[in-house]
Amino acid sequence: MDWLEFFRGPMFQIALLVFILGMVYRFLRIVLMGWKKDYSPPRGSAAAGVVKTYVKGLGFLPFLPPKFPGTRHRPLTYIAGGMFHLGLFVVIFLSTPHMEAWRSVLGFGWPTLPTPFIDGFAAMSMIGMIILLSNRIVSPVGRMLTGLGEWLNWIVVFLPLLSGWVLYHHLFGMPYQTIFAIHMFTVDWLLIWIPFSRISHFMTYFITRTMHGAKFGRLGVEP
Amino acid sequence: MTEKTIYESMVERGLSRRDFLKLATLMTAALGLEYSQLPKVVHAMENKPRLPVIWLEFQDCAGCSEALTRSHDPYLTKLLFNDISVDYHETLFAAAGKQAEENKERVMDEYEGQFVLVVEGSIPTRDNGVYCTIGGRSAIDLLEEAASKAMAIISVGTCASFGGLPHANPNPTGAVGVHELVKDKPIIHVPGCPPIPEVITNTIAHVVLLGEIPELDALGRPKAFYGQTVHDRCPRRPFYERGQFAESYDDKGAKAGWCLYKLGCKGPTTYSACATIKWNEGVSFPVQSNHPCLGCTEPDFWDGGGFYKSLAAPPGAEAARGAQAGFASLGGAALAVGSALYARKIKQKAAEEFKAQKKKEA
Repeated sequence: MDWLEFFRGPMFQIALLVFILGMVYRFLRIVLMGWKKDYSPPRGSAAAGVVKTYVKGLGFLPFLPPKFPGTRHRPLTYIAGGMFHLGLFVVIFLSTPHMEAWRSVLGFGWPTLPTPFIDGFAAMSMIGMIILLSNRIVSPVGRMLTGLGEWLNWIVVFLPLLSGWVLYHHLFGMPYQTIFAIHMFTVDWLLIWIPFSRISHFMTYFITRTMHGAKFGRLGVEP
Repeated sequence: MTEKTIYESMVERGLSRRDFLKLATLMTAALGLEYSQLPKVVHAMENKPRLPVIWLEFQDCAGCSEALTRSHDPYLTKLLFNDISVDYHETLFAAAGKQAEENKERVMDEYEGQFVLVVEGSIPTRDNGVYCTIGGRSAIDLLEEAASKAMAIISVGTCASFGGLPHANPNPTGAVGVHELVKDKPIIHVPGCPPIPEVITNTIAHVVLLGEIPELDALGRPKAFYGQTVHDRCPRRPFYERGQFAESYDDKGAKAGWCLYKLGCKGPTTYSACATIKWNEGVSFPVQSNHPCLGCTEPDFWDGGGFYKSLAAPPGAEAARGAQAGFASLGGAALAVGSALYARKIKQKAAEEFKAQKKKEA
């Protein structure tokens, strides 16, 4: 068995199982913490609050012009963060090879985008990440807020993007299998790393949004 | 030992200087060399004596030999059989038995250190190599003898190069490629199941004519023929880029000649000249004939997770699906419930202690 087969085969298998186990643990551990009963009479609908917060958080806020109040204080973080997240989402879910990988896990597939689009989104995502990292390094506050975990997060997320990019463009004259193996290795590490890190916010974001939305909705204030 | 050169033997057969130069030009192109290398080829053909080739077959299906006889390049084939003499080839040889073996011995001794050894098929190593014997001698024995006297070795086919099909899991005969056993001779790999006939003839011609090893890649394959992937030279590549894929063998996409990536094509990881040289006189190649590339020029292509599964689908994901994923989820849930209960217990204990403290104070 060569490296490629190992990283696509047994190691991917282990990584996937670690990821599933870890994320189920994280999810239930948070939910099982429970929350205190609210004895005050409701002043609004909790469900409406939840809907509102999602509409606002996913459908409205990301598309605001950077000069809008609330985003203007940190336009760089806002724009670069948006570039990174949108790019990453498109690359992970809408590129054909990645969809095929999802299909092998989930058992169903969906339509994908042509590769030049994916290429563009991957580039956008990486540029966003580089801007965010530079910002973190330059800003004293950013440096202070960043621990070892955050630096590692950046590396663990950036490497699959970079290796995928090198893979697609056949850069550095590396044999395809070699760079494919490296790509799979970085993906395996990302999967293993996610449950132990704040990258798990791809899931916890939804817990937070739901709980805040419900709480604010009940209080009758804008979530 | 005064042997005729290729040029001399051509003149003897009534060919003109002009014919010779035409052939030399064709040869230069066929060997994947630049036009500037023509004088080198001419010089070699004028001055080098004809060199014998010994072709040994071990654990194989003779498919590579079959492919060789279907080489559509008449010049090269003629050259190989008329001017470069294949002095021993078990399948193509008219002679058989003792005489054939004696001839092989004679050529090996006469041309020691000069002949080119071509090996087809893998070599079984388990149980002292009893799984493949010729004339009562094991393949390992025969290979070691021939290799020790050869100038260079060309492993033709994936079996001789990387073990191939006999090497596939669980490899009952302990089959290996030539390079696992012979360490002290230059070895050129010409993998494929079978390799493209022209790639076989051209590689042999290169070594025999120029007396040198062509430029090789990391897996020991001539870069001229294994320098690019099937995917990179595939006529269906634009469909890949556009995201137009055949989803089954008889859907609209398949009929329109769209990309076969989703049907398991291994083109992106397979280095071969299939899409450019093609097969059967340049008529077609697997992808053009609406079948995904199997990746037969790559090591362990047989064990790569399935010919009809997408290259992007990790075999590890398939294995983790179902029961394993279920157990992982249950494991995660059990851990979470356990730790939540434990935390609750600690909380209750702390509350009770707090209450007791308050009571004491009161």
